[in-house]
Amino acid sequence: MTRALFALKLRLFRNGPHDERVFSLVTGLILAALVIAGASSATHGVIHEGWIAVALTVWGGMWLFGPLAQPRHEPSVISHEWLRGYPLRPWRLARALSWTELLGVGPLVTLACLSSLVVLAAPGGAAAVVVAVAAVAAQLYLLVWAGRTVAALAAWLLRTRVGMTLAAVQTAIMLALSFAGWVPVAAWLLPRLGEGDTTLVAPATERLPEPMIDVLAAAPTGWGYSAALAARDGAGTGPVLLPLAALLTVGALLQLCWIALTVGALRRPPRPASPRRLCVPGRDLSLPFVTPEVAAVASRELVTWLRDPARGVELRSAWLTPLLMALVIASSGWSWALPLAGPAVAVFGAMVAINTYALDGTALWQLLTTPGALKADVHGRMAAWALVFGLPSVALAAVLWAVTGSPLGGAAFGGAITAAAVGCAGAPLLALLMPAVGTDARDRIHPGQQAGDPRGGQMTIFPVVLLAAVLPGVVGGPWWGSFLAAVLVAVVVGVIPLFTVGLLQQRGTGLLEAMATRGTAVLRAAARTKS
Amino acid sequence: MQNPCVPAIEVADLTQRFSTALAVDRLSLSIPPGMFYGIVGPNGAGKTTILAAVCGLRRPTAGTVRVAGHDLRTAREAALAQLGVMMDGLSLPERLTAAEILRYSAGLRGLDDGWRARAGDLLEILGLDAVPRTLIVEYSTGMRKKIGLALALLHRPRVLVLDEPFEAIDPVSARSIEHVLKQYVDAGGTVVLSSHIMDFVERNCRRVAVVVGGRVLIEGPVERVAGDSTLNERFVELVGADPVRPLEWLS
Repeated sequence: MTRALFALKLRLFRNGPHDERVFSLVTGLILAALVIAGASSATHGVIHEGWIAVALTVWGGMWLFGPLAQPRHEPSVISHEWLRGYPLRPWRLARALSWTELLGVGPLVTLACLSSLVVLAAPGGAAAVVVAVAAVAAQLYLLVWAGRTVAALAAWLLRTRVGMTLAAVQTAIMLALSFAGWVPVAAWLLPRLGEGDTTLVAPATERLPEPMIDVLAAAPTGWGYSAALAARDGAGTGPVLLPLAALLTVGALLQLCWIALTVGALRRPPRPASPRRLCVPGRDLSLPFVTPEVAAVASRELVTWLRDPARGVELRSAWLTPLLMALVIASSGWSWALPLAGPAVAVFGAMVAINTYALDGTALWQLLTTPGALKADVHGRMAAWALVFGLPSVALAAVLWAVTGSPLGGAAFGGAITAAAVGCAGAPLLALLMPAVGTDARDRIHPGQQAGDPRGGQMTIFPVVLLAAVLPGVVGGPWWGSFLAAVLVAVVVGVIPLFTVGLLQQRGTGLLEAMATRGTAVLRAAARTKS
Repeated sequence: MQNPCVPAIEVADLTQRFSTALAVDRLSLSIPPGMFYGIVGPNGAGKTTILAAVCGLRRPTAGTVRVAGHDLRTAREAALAQLGVMMDGLSLPERLTAAEILRYSAGLRGLDDGWRARAGDLLEILGLDAVPRTLIVEYSTGMRKKIGLALALLHRPRVLVLDEPFEAIDPVSARSIEHVLKQYVDAGGTVVLSSHIMDFVERNCRRVAVVVGGRVLIEGPVERVAGDSTLNERFVELVGADPVRPLEWLS
């Protein structure tokens, strides 16, 4: 059976989409080559070999935290749903499947990266090289199973409401560290920047501190490194065999854990047999300054943000990320930067709202067959976004400005307004221009199911809203700065929705077909036909 | 009051091409108001494509569609206002309950307060009031068909376009839908539906079109199309069925 599954996976690789896989392979091999070059430099004394431990720790961290940063990404190429119908014992199937997990781009580029251990051990002679080769295999075994187990665990958690929140917290932590993780370092280097003092406090570090290298070598991601160096330095059998045995033991335990989780997934029915969650029906929403049609859409959107599992994760992470960033900033002593959390809410809110049409899926047919519904839909989505992200982002900036009395408060407040305006008008437009089509709304029960990969749209709207957020700060205090920002807000809120409605009228049927057939190729063809 | 001289649906030379495949080939239909009209055909005959074009979900490659005299291309909003649509296999706003989705639909169409009484009636007759706190995404196929019908009827359209309303649903659900449709036609409404359930079509529809390969093979009153046999037998005869040779290994 293992051979049949290997053959199936190879065919899927050959016939499946290659874009992302080729990108990962090329990027991974380039990074691996850098690590190998670093190892070679270390053997010649150009850099300290501790940097290789750092690189391997970061690489191992990607295996562990990658699935957490993308909790809805299914790393297994062979879908478990295909195999449920076969009369095979789940344990036997999961065991056979487990070996196919070693086949893929991730293990291949990691193998290339870990070969740096052989380069490091080479000066120790043939025996050290043999040990390093064993260390490479054992370390790869552990990393693959650590990554796969974390991914399976995340998928299992995502079937529950608690898991939905956990996934959002994980994503928010990753994003907050990515966006604000540099602040403590910057605050250390520029402790008085908030007072306008740009004196740099230069750190005195010529080489990596020894205790740090010891910690990295003692972590599971550094066990292969420890074994290879111990063999090179002739440290005896204990320091060589102990890390290798630990790698294989922990790796085997993780593999067993993955098999158990996969057995659970194979036994689970594809859909719940009965309704799991009952909800309290909402009431009429009356919004000032909007028509009943727009209020109806806004009401639908607000409910959907709270109840749709995919949107629920996005909503939570969009709100948690700026709050965690504020926490990181507050703990670093740069309290003057806190009001910037306000515009950050608008930026992240725009990023998580750029795939709403694809998430709602083929429900678009209802809008296309209702007179006047397309205009109401665009305006209703904007109103709901303003209520969920826009107005709170402005309010947060105002509150943090008042609390901290920061000199950046005015710019942050203005930035929140412009970012909210651009996010509010831009998100529905990008949702139409760059829909990431996934599982249709009617088939999505929990957030673990593929709901489209909107990273392209997110990376597009991120710089746009960020630019809008920094604009008031850049143009500064003169009256024309405020005037320019106000003009931008008026143009964005007034003109972009007109364009979005026109686009929806023009491409709506093509988008519906793309979602019904789950292919954006259809959408591209439709766009070409129209142009 | 509907003008009996103006067809409820008029399709002229409708052509729909997908890349190189011709799904609908210069098809013409004229459906008078107050008609219970069935479109039948084998899988892939083009039934859903025709209905999608009739309710504006697909732009035809060529040809025109008129709904109660309004051209779908030039007077789209007026044409759509006449229609109630129920499509098979497509999502609805999935995270709403039955009452919420009807309220949403009423708001989206700007209906007056009368919709509340109609919504209550529809939920009761279709048996959806028993699950007031269940989201659409949790609905069974039959419940989906029922809420789809309720949405299509809520604004009292002149023409109902229903794609496979009886596909994969139990006899009890089918019965309640059938009763609602009969009442609607008796009150002067027009129903155009596609179906594989020949028994239902024969029992309820007054006219039927047999579509094969995107063309109308035969069209007319059900009795005339069926002739001396049942509609099912006549359909198989018209469409043609290959003889099935016996499989030795099954015995």
